[in-house]
Amino acid sequence: MKQPREGTNVDGAPARVGDAQEPILVFERVRKNYGDLLALDNVTFKLNRGEVACLIGPSGSGKSTLLRCANALETIDGGRIIFEGIDVASSSTNVRKLRQRMGMVFQNFELFPHLTVLHNITIGSTVVLGMSMRDATIRAVELLRKVGLPEKASEHPAALSGGQQQRVAIARALAMEPDVMLFDEPTSALDPETIGEVLSVMKRLADEGMTMLVVTHEMDFAKRVADWVVVFDKGALIEEGPPSQIFDNPLVPRTRSFLSHLGWHGESIVEGDGR
Amino acid sequence: MTFDWSVIWSNYGLLLQGAGMTIVLAALTMLIAIPGGLLLAALRISRVAALRTVATGFVESFRATPLILQIYWAFYVLPATFGIGLSPFATALLALSMNVSSFNSETFRAGILSIRKGQTNAGLALGMSRLQTMRYIILPQATMRVLPALASTWVSLFKDTSLVSTIAVAELSFVSLKLRAETYRILEVLTAMAVLYWAMGYPQAKLVEWLHRRFRVVE
Repeated sequence: MKQPREGTNVDGAPARVGDAQEPILVFERVRKNYGDLLALDNVTFKLNRGEVACLIGPSGSGKSTLLRCANALETIDGGRIIFEGIDVASSSTNVRKLRQRMGMVFQNFELFPHLTVLHNITIGSTVVLGMSMRDATIRAVELLRKVGLPEKASEHPAALSGGQQQRVAIARALAMEPDVMLFDEPTSALDPETIGEVLSVMKRLADEGMTMLVVTHEMDFAKRVADWVVVFDKGALIEEGPPSQIFDNPLVPRTRSFLSHLGWHGESIVEGDGR
Repeated sequence: MTFDWSVIWSNYGLLLQGAGMTIVLAALTMLIAIPGGLLLAALRISRVAALRTVATGFVESFRATPLILQIYWAFYVLPATFGIGLSPFATALLALSMNVSSFNSETFRAGILSIRKGQTNAGLALGMSRLQTMRYIILPQATMRVLPALASTWVSLFKDTSLVSTIAVAELSFVSLKLRAETYRILEVLTAMAVLYWAMGYPQAKLVEWLHRRFRVVE
């Protein structure tokens, strides 16, 4: 079980996991335009090592865009993104090296349909890291066991359920032994009955101390697993804090109204349902 | 009207040689036109505008003019204007390869563009280069998708090789038409020619049908 990681600093501000170290990922006044649309509006926040942060907010509020900017699948129009001390958007940065240390999980899985499950997991380590097929296979089998799908190694992705595909996609990203995992709405494309299996794999990863940045609409997951929750609206960060603050005592009215639109009315009312 | 099939039996070696040349010509053409088509497709989706323009110009000129014109052009204009004198066989191979490369490039390009963007992103997110993503992720999928189209091109090519009989390459049409001119056994020779083309072409058409079924896109 994960230990409760919140505390209070001497100055009264909530302490964050990994505050003693340099943060792994820093967003500084990040701006992104799509034509006239301001997709990211001066977004500033940090992710510490060992921390699980969830990005929540209405659809189209810029959460996914921010994630894709973090590993340079999208360019930014202003500000800086610093990953492990390196400016992601600088022209002198070797983006491929950075991406090797960031695992990415997509909403639509994006498994490679022409490869078996095993080869989906080994292709990164063999092609990018130059690992031997033998070593890559050993690692892949281990990861498949970890996500609970050891018997699916020789199947093609099309033969798997959505939840199984997403678990393979998580294993594929983990095969690169990344320093941080980025999840872009990992359960949004899933049938309700397979969401749980993906979330529990993610929960286990978090318990093992993996640094994670998760864009999600699963408020229960955010509340139970996140160390830090960041709320987006219309491209801007409107509130951030520990889950206890965001879900029980949001400081910003807009956070409260977003959560209540989702049917979230704070823990007291949820408990009240049990009467 | 009497038939004299002896003209076929006494010349069957010649006809089979012609058929052999047809196969060699079609096979060599495709061998060149697959990498050629890939290269042209790569240039057409390149991020360098000049490369795109050159490749597009090349492809569109070969797709929009008749093959027989291209064969004649290579046969008469290349030596006369550019001093490039090739054997009839090499000339035929050149014209056919350029033509089929152009068609293949459009096939490959359509195949590559049909693979959704997310697949490229997934490759890049693993730390692959654009080239590695193309080679290990996009091209294998695109090729599977366009295999039936490539096979159809092959069947057309197989029959279109008959056009190089106009520049005296001794493939099946040239051999047959020559035999007809020498013996005046028009019906017998043309029938034998038809049977040979059909015997070679029909199994290929069946193979294409099978490929269409086998490589239907399953996602």
